Amino acid sequence: MTMQDIRELPLIDLGVKKTRTICGYCGVGCSVDVLSKDNRIIGIQPAMDGPANLGALCVKGQFAFDYVHHPDRLKHPLVRRADGKLHETTWDEAIQVAADGFRNVAQKYGRESIYGVASGRTPTEADYLMQKFIRAGFGTHNIDNCSRA
Amino acid sequence: MSNPLSDLEKADVYFCIGTNMTEAHPVAATRMKKALARGSKLIVADPRLIKLAELADLYLPLRVGTDVALLLGMAHVIARENLIAHQFVAEKTTGIDEYIEHVKKFTPEWAEEITGVPAKDIEKAAIMYASADKASIYYTLGITEHICGVDNVQSLSNLALMTGHLGREGCGINPLRGQNNIQGAGDAGAAPSDYPGYQNVNKPENRDKFQKLYGRALDAERGITKVTALDRCGDGIHAFLIDGENTLISDPNREHTEHALKQLDHLVVIDIFLTETAQMADVVLPAASWAEVDGTLTNTERRIQRVRAAVTPPGEAKPDWWILSALANAMSIPGFEYDSAKEVFNELCNVAPIYAGVDWDMIDDGQYQWPVPYKGHPGTPRLHEDGFSHGKALFRVIGYRDPAEVVDDEYPVWLTTGRRLQNYHTRTQTGRSAGIEYLAPEEYLEVNPDNVAKWGLTDGGWAKVTSRRGEVKIKVKSTPRSPKGTVFASFSFAETPVNMLTGSGYDPNTHTAELKVCTVRVEPA
Repeated sequence: MTMQDIRELPLIDLGVKKTRTICGYCGVGCSVDVLSKDNRIIGIQPAMDGPANLGALCVKGQFAFDYVHHPDRLKHPLVRRADGKLHETTWDEAIQVAADGFRNVAQKYGRESIYGVASGRTPTEADYLMQKFIRAGFGTHNIDNCSRA
Repeated sequence: MSNPLSDLEKADVYFCIGTNMTEAHPVAATRMKKALARGSKLIVADPRLIKLAELADLYLPLRVGTDVALLLGMAHVIARENLIAHQFVAEKTTGIDEYIEHVKKFTPEWAEEITGVPAKDIEKAAIMYASADKASIYYTLGITEHICGVDNVQSLSNLALMTGHLGREGCGINPLRGQNNIQGAGDAGAAPSDYPGYQNVNKPENRDKFQKLYGRALDAERGITKVTALDRCGDGIHAFLIDGENTLISDPNREHTEHALKQLDHLVVIDIFLTETAQMADVVLPAASWAEVDGTLTNTERRIQRVRAAVTPPGEAKPDWWILSALANAMSIPGFEYDSAKEVFNELCNVAPIYAGVDWDMIDDGQYQWPVPYKGHPGTPRLHEDGFSHGKALFRVIGYRDPAEVVDDEYPVWLTTGRRLQNYHTRTQTGRSAGIEYLAPEEYLEVNPDNVAKWGLTDGGWAKVTSRRGEVKIKVKSTPRSPKGTVFASFSFAETPVNMLTGSGYDPNTHTAELKVCTVRVEPA
């Protein structure tokens, strides 16, 4: 039996789900199988047939996934209130405050005064919508991503 | 990258410059090591004696920021030894005569004086690279994060053009991208100069196209870069929307960045943690993380791949596409009626010609590398196989410039920054991972053993590092990886904010900061 055969053996049904995805760290784009059980990640396997990695994976990609379930994860929207502190709130209020803020700034200083920074860590769809938000929303090209730093 | 990652196993000679591949792109390095085990040769140019340098057949320890001088010296040798690929040059390039005349002045001896690399080794490297059948260039931020980042890249391009090492298997100019989707961010048009698919904003036909698509007038001129926007906070720029970037820690000159963000009337941050940047925001919107979303990523070899949700997000966290759509809808911006990431991706494919040949249902196995100009096209693993899209490639006449700061009596030490294997960027993720916390819990300054003694430091003791912009207290590690007179640290740790020190200058074309060079004073603390 080759290593590949072994990895392709069906998992004994312990309720473990296997999800084929792409590693979330560097730009090499290694294919991985995320193993999860009861909605928690319990391990990551490199994909032997991943076009970028052919079964290889580094220390970050294989082991640094516990941040996903870290207690520090943001679970609710936050807005800064009169006391100067960030407070949990509903999506409706958070989106309204965010939108009003941009609207007010655009009215006061002009549409050129708003700037968008897209991420090199989000899926492409987020980057596309960030540039569309700026271009379709304000007619400017005041949009960048984090590739310069 | 001009060539696919599979070409990392196919070259006869590798020229790696400004890339700490074994730490920053370990899996790419693993693929290259296979070729080295079969007898391929490796040239490494790097100021630090990194692990990759230990694997090299020829190591060129250049002084920080002198890449252009090294590459001019190599070009001089290639011209002098007549190792030019005449047929390739005649068919596919323009400007060779002027370029050869230009590099005549820059002898390896001249380059030695600036770079510190022995002229003999510069000659050897040039001949190894030029005379190989398949020779490839790999680089990373060690090339681009300089005031002369564009000059560095164009110098590498000149070498590849004069030797014909482009458009073939095992060749090419290959920047390894640092973030899982930094390629996708550029592809999607998240840049001040380009609409999605690198359609330049200055071209009237592109403007017409997107005015129709987005249903409003769009500026004819390009926007400003993030660097310029931060400079203008409070004076022209009054609101920022930041998605998934810890700007405060990742950007150079932290004090300047913090001051800039404080000037804003309105700051909205979308992130998965309350990062140092999110703590400054007026509104923080909780995003679903990598393991919780469906979407696409494009890797360093332009391969479009699917990410799939394995678990559900905590609390009320939402995918970025949902958050941005909700925000746009609340502002009555038309065209944000999306129900899935699939709809967003398919819209991108419709508006970006490099993605025109794919859609969401075609990329399950990640088999496409853009450009995929039409349905039925197999994708483009290797660029420039049939020549260059804009006609003939141009040799650029480039001269050497010193870094923005050079050592002097007050700041006599070079500082260069970078990454370490275990930690990723500002540790938003890896800082919350138990295993990584065990492996690499703190930052340290790498100092040459001779300097440790001479500067009154102790291995494992504390040093105060001061630049023109700030100071940082940091532990000392005595190591020959740092050459004499040059120290190194990563910027990953918020508690050791090395980017307090950086920010000496920017490339005038790209506004990329010279994070790889600044000058400092190192004292016991």
